[in-house]
Amino acid sequence: MRFNEKELVLLSRQPSERAAELGMRGPKKGDVVKKRLVKLVVNFLFYFRTDEEEPIGALLLEQCRVEREDSQTFSIAFLDEAERKYVFECDTEEQCAEWIDSIIKASYEFMRKNLIYYRTEIHRLTGKDPLEQYGISDEARFQVSNGRPLPTVPFLVAL
Amino acid sequence: MKIDEKVLTYFESSNSPVDKEGYLYKKGEIKTSYQKRWFVLKGNLLFYKDRQTDRDLVGVIVLEGCTVQLCESEEKFAFSLVWSEPGLRTYKFAAEDQASQESWIKALLSASHSYLALLVVDMESKYRDALGALSSQPSKPFVMPNFNTVQPAVFVTSNTCTSSALGTASSPNSCPNLQALTISSKTASKKSPKLRSKKNASVVPMFDPFQTIGEYDFNQLHEDYGKEVKELIAMWSKKGHGGANVQDENLIDFG
Repeated sequence: MRFNEKELVLLSRQPSERAAELGMRGPKKGDVVKKRLVKLVVNFLFYFRTDEEEPIGALLLEQCRVEREDSQTFSIAFLDEAERKYVFECDTEEQCAEWIDSIIKASYEFMRKNLIYYRTEIHRLTGKDPLEQYGISDEARFQVSNGRPLPTVPFLVAL
Repeated sequence: MKIDEKVLTYFESSNSPVDKEGYLYKKGEIKTSYQKRWFVLKGNLLFYKDRQTDRDLVGVIVLEGCTVQLCESEEKFAFSLVWSEPGLRTYKFAAEDQASQESWIKALLSASHSYLALLVVDMESKYRDALGALSSQPSKPFVMPNFNTVQPAVFVTSNTCTSSALGTASSPNSCPNLQALTISSKTASKKSPKLRSKKNASVVPMFDPFQTIGEYDFNQLHEDYGKEVKELIAMWSKKGHGGANVQDENLIDFG
């Protein structure tokens, strides 16, 4: 599968609030835990060998389940095969909780749902569609899940 | 750098929302001919395959850090995704007609994760304001929404504006922003020979897509995006496609 590798490598260099050295184990049988610099940028998890500039790999954080494995360990499982997991070992319980929270909130789908929720609520409370001023009201990605666009002012509909 | 292909394949085939899909011509990465491919836009990922019914993906383009631009091309209805840093790519596409070109450009302009993140922050704050207004003044009558923000006029090319478009009872003549849009399209057309020079064939936004949230005013970001889109529209309407179809009604159906 082709992908825009150089551009993705550039993305991996962007500032991130969630970057740390963690123990990481790959999803294949026989993979062992290795120390990696793990960095969350947008909805990708990049992992580097310590002190290397280019990541070894990139993991898309969509359609995945993030779980606590034990007090300091979390896993990311991809929904195609529930047992196919990447495992990460943290230094503290707190660090582990923070990573889980950040990864869940980084997914595009999670953010989209939030947006739709706020849009719907603001419309309900004010009668105004807050996306209208940006000219993006009819973009498919901002519609409620059944695909119907929100009615525009002055038609107020109870949602 | 490796990428976990199984994850990407699974995401594309899953029933997560599709933001746009359709055939586009893509300029080859090695051969320079345009090849027809089926594209699926989901979030900030643009997948492509040979045919709609194929299961195997040919490739994916991660849409972060790029701009969407009109481009000079022997192909009609062309546009490109541009990473402006040295050594990075430009992907060139051609749509089958103007409507498809406009629709794809619009969809790609708002596709990045960074953009969505800024939008969510903005919506959160508007939501808090709306809740605050409600709880602090329970007996206040309905407050007229603030119409001083940018008018919903990104794709409106008409010189008139109906009251339903603005949601107010304002008279058809008091639409300063729409008139400004018309005026700017005239100046854009005068400039268009310069715009079509090799160096500067496309509209380039004025901001760094990687600017961190909190340092950037989202309204300003939208002004910039909106300006880019307005300029694109102005160029299209003057390029000859729009010559015969100056429209009297809004392109967006306001219901």
